[in-house]
Amino acid sequence: MAKLTEKKLIEQIKGLKIIKPRQEWASLLKSQILAKPAKTVSIMDVISSIFYQRQIAYAFATLLIMIVGVLGFAQYTVPGDALFPIKKIAEQSQANLTGQTTLNKEIANLSNRVNDLAQVAKDGRKESIPSVIVEIKANASELAKNLKDNPVQDPVAIKEIATTLKTLASVAGTDLSENQDVKDLYQAVVISQIADLEKATLTEEQKETLAGAKELYDAGKYSQALEELLAISN
Amino acid sequence: MENQNEQFGQIYDQYIEKIYRFVYLKVNSEETAEDITSKVFLGAWKAYSAPDSKIDNIGSFLYKIAGNAVIDHYREKGRTKTVSSDILPEIADTESSQYNKAVLSADINVVKTAIQKLKKEHQDIIIWHYLEDMPIANIAKLTGRPAGTVRVMLHRGLKELKGIIQEN
Repeated sequence: MAKLTEKKLIEQIKGLKIIKPRQEWASLLKSQILAKPAKTVSIMDVISSIFYQRQIAYAFATLLIMIVGVLGFAQYTVPGDALFPIKKIAEQSQANLTGQTTLNKEIANLSNRVNDLAQVAKDGRKESIPSVIVEIKANASELAKNLKDNPVQDPVAIKEIATTLKTLASVAGTDLSENQDVKDLYQAVVISQIADLEKATLTEEQKETLAGAKELYDAGKYSQALEELLAISN
Repeated sequence: MENQNEQFGQIYDQYIEKIYRFVYLKVNSEETAEDITSKVFLGAWKAYSAPDSKIDNIGSFLYKIAGNAVIDHYREKGRTKTVSSDILPEIADTESSQYNKAVLSADINVVKTAIQKLKKEHQDIIIWHYLEDMPIANIAKLTGRPAGTVRVMLHRGLKELKGIIQEN
């Protein structure tokens, strides 16, 4: 090896400047570092964190209040109102939570809609009556079908339907006695009531009333027949 | 914050090659050098962006972190029983670098290998002064030694380096 002078050695050391990092690695590292926020927790960070958490809590509370408010408002709605679907969902959820049978749910639905009809009639909200009646017809149809398919039913439930039908008949200006869905329901209820009373021990007077009710049933006068039957039951 | 990012970005651009080279000459592995250099700059950014940051000389700061990171690296690898800074060059990663094979000329490769065999105190000073053009006054400040001592160490380091090269 030729004599290595100090100057030559220093030149060779400087030649090591050729050692450089890969350009793409250096660029990537730079972007990664500068994209990373410093992980130091200052008082401002803590305050903003608390503020942020409070904001979430306030937002959640507001949302909760809004939901409760909407549900509250929905309780006073009737078919045709914007919030009525919410009321219906709430009713269905409640029925599901309490484990009601399909029959009981249908009875409750009909009862609720009849109450709605009574309310709108009382308030003079004529524009709402058609929408409520549509709902009542649909509920009555479902209930009548259920009773036809399952003739042996709980007497208490049948009495409840009978009471609801009586309330429906009493709502001023909304005669639905000739509506086919409602008539079908009357018919199904009367059949169940007659079957139930035939098994019961009746007085002579009650037997006569039952016979009269049967005649009215045969004549297709279901609502009147039901009136007679309710007189016996009561 | 944007301003701080920009400032550190400039520091990064100024020092990335120097720090990488400083580390690479000690570990003799691109992968390890990249890993350690990443840690150095991440740590520096964390310190630099801290609200109570007081870094007088960022260059010295980076070299100090780098030196410590190299020592930590060997400590983690468990390749030394006593992590004496003097023997670090002897236990540098032995894997052959692409630089060795393709980029570095034979003469430069020889000097690189020889630098890795130097005592750490000589190695650092030679790298800083001759390779990175750091003034003696700055090295004195960085090492906490008088400038005269640094000059003597530089002279001895060069002599030691020359001896290593000529031995081979």
